[in-house]
Amino acid sequence: MINPIVSANELVKTYSKGLIALNNISMVVNKKEVLVVMGPSGSGKSTLIRTFNGLESFDSGELEVVGITIGTDPEDRKVREIRKRVGMVFQQFNLFPHLSILENITLAPIQVQRKNRIEAEDHAMELLSQMGIEKQAKKYPIQLSGGEQQRVAIARSLAVNPELLLFDEPTSALDPERVNEVLDAMRKLAQDGMTMVVVTHEVSFAKEVADRVVFMDSGKIIETSSPNVFFNNAKEERSRKFLNQIIK
Amino acid sequence: MKGLRSLYIQVGIGLVLFILFAVLINNLSINLIRTNLNFSFKWLYRPASFALAEHPLPYSPSDSYAWALFIGWLNSLKVIFISLIISTLIGFITGIARTGRNPLLKIIAASYITLIRQTPLLLQLMFWYFVGFLSIKGTLIFPNERILVLSNQGIKIFGDINLTAEYSSLVIGLTVFTGAYIAEVVRGGINSVPRGQWEAFRSVGLNENSGVLKIIIPQALPAILPGLTSQYLNLAKNSTLAIAVGYADIYAISDTIINQTGRAIEGFILLLLSFLFLNLIISLMMDFFNEIITKYQKV
Amino acid sequence: MAILLMKKINKLINNVKRTMFTSSLDTFISLFITSILFVCTVKLSKWFFLKANWTVVEENIPLFLFGVFPADQRWRPSLWLIILISLVVLTLFTPSWSFFRKLLPFAWIAVIPIGIALLAGGIGLSPVASRYWGGLTLTIFLMMSSLFLAFPFGIILAFGRQSKLQLIKYFCSIYIETLRAIPLISILFFGQLLIPLFLPVEIEINRVLRSIIAFTLFVSAYIAEDIRGGLQAIPKSQIEAAKSLGFNTFQITRFILLPQVLQIALPALTNQAVGLLQNTSLMSILGLVELLGISRSLLANPKFIGQYMEVYVWLAAIYWFICTIMALVAQNIERKTTLVKLI
Ligand SMILES: Nc1ncnc2c1ncn2[C@@H]1O[C@H](COP(=O)(O)OP(=O)(O)O)[C@@H](O)[C@H]1O
Ligand SMILES: [Mg+2]
Repeated sequence: MINPIVSANELVKTYSKGLIALNNISMVVNKKEVLVVMGPSGSGKSTLIRTFNGLESFDSGELEVVGITIGTDPEDRKVREIRKRVGMVFQQFNLFPHLSILENITLAPIQVQRKNRIEAEDHAMELLSQMGIEKQAKKYPIQLSGGEQQRVAIARSLAVNPELLLFDEPTSALDPERVNEVLDAMRKLAQDGMTMVVVTHEVSFAKEVADRVVFMDSGKIIETSSPNVFFNNAKEERSRKFLNQIIK
Repeated sequence: MKGLRSLYIQVGIGLVLFILFAVLINNLSINLIRTNLNFSFKWLYRPASFALAEHPLPYSPSDSYAWALFIGWLNSLKVIFISLIISTLIGFITGIARTGRNPLLKIIAASYITLIRQTPLLLQLMFWYFVGFLSIKGTLIFPNERILVLSNQGIKIFGDINLTAEYSSLVIGLTVFTGAYIAEVVRGGINSVPRGQWEAFRSVGLNENSGVLKIIIPQALPAILPGLTSQYLNLAKNSTLAIAVGYADIYAISDTIINQTGRAIEGFILLLLSFLFLNLIISLMMDFFNEIITKYQKV
Repeated sequence: MAILLMKKINKLINNVKRTMFTSSLDTFISLFITSILFVCTVKLSKWFFLKANWTVVEENIPLFLFGVFPADQRWRPSLWLIILISLVVLTLFTPSWSFFRKLLPFAWIAVIPIGIALLAGGIGLSPVASRYWGGLTLTIFLMMSSLFLAFPFGIILAFGRQSKLQLIKYFCSIYIETLRAIPLISILFFGQLLIPLFLPVEIEINRVLRSIIAFTLFVSAYIAEDIRGGLQAIPKSQIEAAKSLGFNTFQITRFILLPQVLQIALPALTNQAVGLLQNTSLMSILGLVELLGISRSLLANPKFIGQYMEVYVWLAAIYWFICTIMALVAQNIERKTTLVKLI
């Protein structure tokens, strides 16, 4: 039996105002799996995947990511070890505006992994051409379109060879005609066997790429199904309601 | 786990700071014992035995150091509050001229601002005092003796208000200096109002001057106030350059007292306290204005 | 051709009419100001060219530049000023892609120890005590060395004030707020008096060093606030992105926050530097003969008595010129760092 990459056990998180963002979440993410997380806005999707790389702490429960177990008050060292091995792509890209595209991608390999510059730059160029934007290497983030910036962000998180990639609504901030270029890049990654947890509202992407779909509402996991079941014949009433709303 | 570590770090840093202060205080007390000056404020009751040219309340050299300091404080307030009002007027007029349409006014405002901001205040104060007042020969009369008389003794207004040359040059220097800085604050505030507002008041037929005064400035005020507050605080601090023109403000008097008594530490603490108090007054005043403005704008 | 010219003139007249003479009030103001300006210009040029006696400036140029620095050693401050001028020129005119540009920051830092070596002497040069330093050289030296020390100190204070460790946070806040509450002249005055009191009897430090310490303590509090303003302008998501890549706190500060903060805070920092240059003049009432100080002693000389106007106009011109140069250099740095990176 292979160990899962993420296994969460009864995670609970409350924000200071008493709002329960995660309500007893237990789940696993297996190696080479693409897991899509769906749910209405405010249901706790972001909070969930942000606990996976320690950007959010939790109040009770247990979490194991890439073989490292963390509790409610984890050591910095452990959290950083997880972050080195788990990549994250944000809705707003969050590229570093003062660095060129190439520098954005090579900064972590050079400073965190202590790779030499030439090696890091070669790898970065390779990733950029994989994303189809090798011509932009010398430019700065604000010179790029949203879709290009998001592909840079993906390349940046790939540059440290992560074992798991987390995506928080990677296409929600894009113009509609730019969405596909990012989704295509993600499809390719999935084909190459990358383990991914993707929060998204893109139904076609989920249908095509996801191995499983997790549906959340009010901080709880309502349903976990294969995309086939979830989109055609969801088990739960709430899931069906949600699907009706977004497909309409 | 994490909490414990940060506790250790803080205790460590606290220890280092503590040792540093202990060494400094130790040196200080050794030095004070050497010079026979124990830390105390009793000397405040001893007679000051220096004369003051200007005192809004009765004062003679036989009065105590404490009373002399208080007089200094009043002298400072006298300068600060008058300068505060006049520099606000200058600042608003210049700031509006700077953003207005008249190119002549624009150029004049811009050159005034750059000339004042790019030269030291101290130099400007000396200029007003030595060139502006002390080198007047005889008296200059505008338009007759009843209204305004300038001489190297100062300014005489309406025949019976006498302002000394020291006081006048200090107030003029501070207002001209602070006015230029306030003008820049006002300009920033006006520029933060959307351009559409100008078209709006023009389209309803308001003329340029009343449009700016009635429509633009009220909208710019919230953006102007914070900058204005810090300019007022600067004005209060800058007023201590009074010593350069020989005006007896709080700092000049503290300086004299410390030179007489050698009580540097105590003098420093008193000066610090009086400035904290002054800053508090100005901040409270500005909070009060801010409240009025927000209330007025909600209605 | 003539028609074109006519059109242009017409347009100009219209423009002037529209902007200066729209209402009777505007007309009045414009005419009034023009006449006043005219009178002032005539009077000033009369004074400048006919009445003013510029010998006080002409005869004392070395004094304005170097103070009472020993006459046979004046080549040393001159050399330093020349190095500074060349650095300014280099900074303004080397293109942003050039290799030299990367060396410029180091050159600017190196110029301070070079200044100390040249002014103080010691290594092969005859030593000159700091009480002989003066004039413009001392003004610039005070400004640059205080700025050089205050800069890292201010950055540390700014980050300290944001720290999660309460002790550090309060210490930094109290320091910053106290120093910003009191007037500079009092800090300089008490710096002269108190710094020796806080040190062991054996250690003696000279007036110049004491004033540099006082300026550093003062300016660092203001720099800290400017840096903090820059820090607050950086979105938190930048830090989250960096954390997700595995950076530790130091690396985030060094590679993500600082470069952006410095870019954002540059205009404010320039104002601090310009303010500092002007404020060095305060030392003239506390016993240093920097630019303003040397002028004061010059004016006390019976030979030049009463020539305030000439000297003050001359000083204003120097200060104005240097402040303008500083603003130009800062603008240049700003353009060359942001243009390349953001456009
Ligand atoms: N920093 C925070 N402080 C307080 N409440 C928060 C914070 N972040 C998120 N929340 C709340 O937690 C809930 C879950 O948020 P989130 O995980 O962002 O949902 P989703 O990503 O599914 O839209 C929401 O109700 C949100 O308002
Ligand atoms: Mg979300």
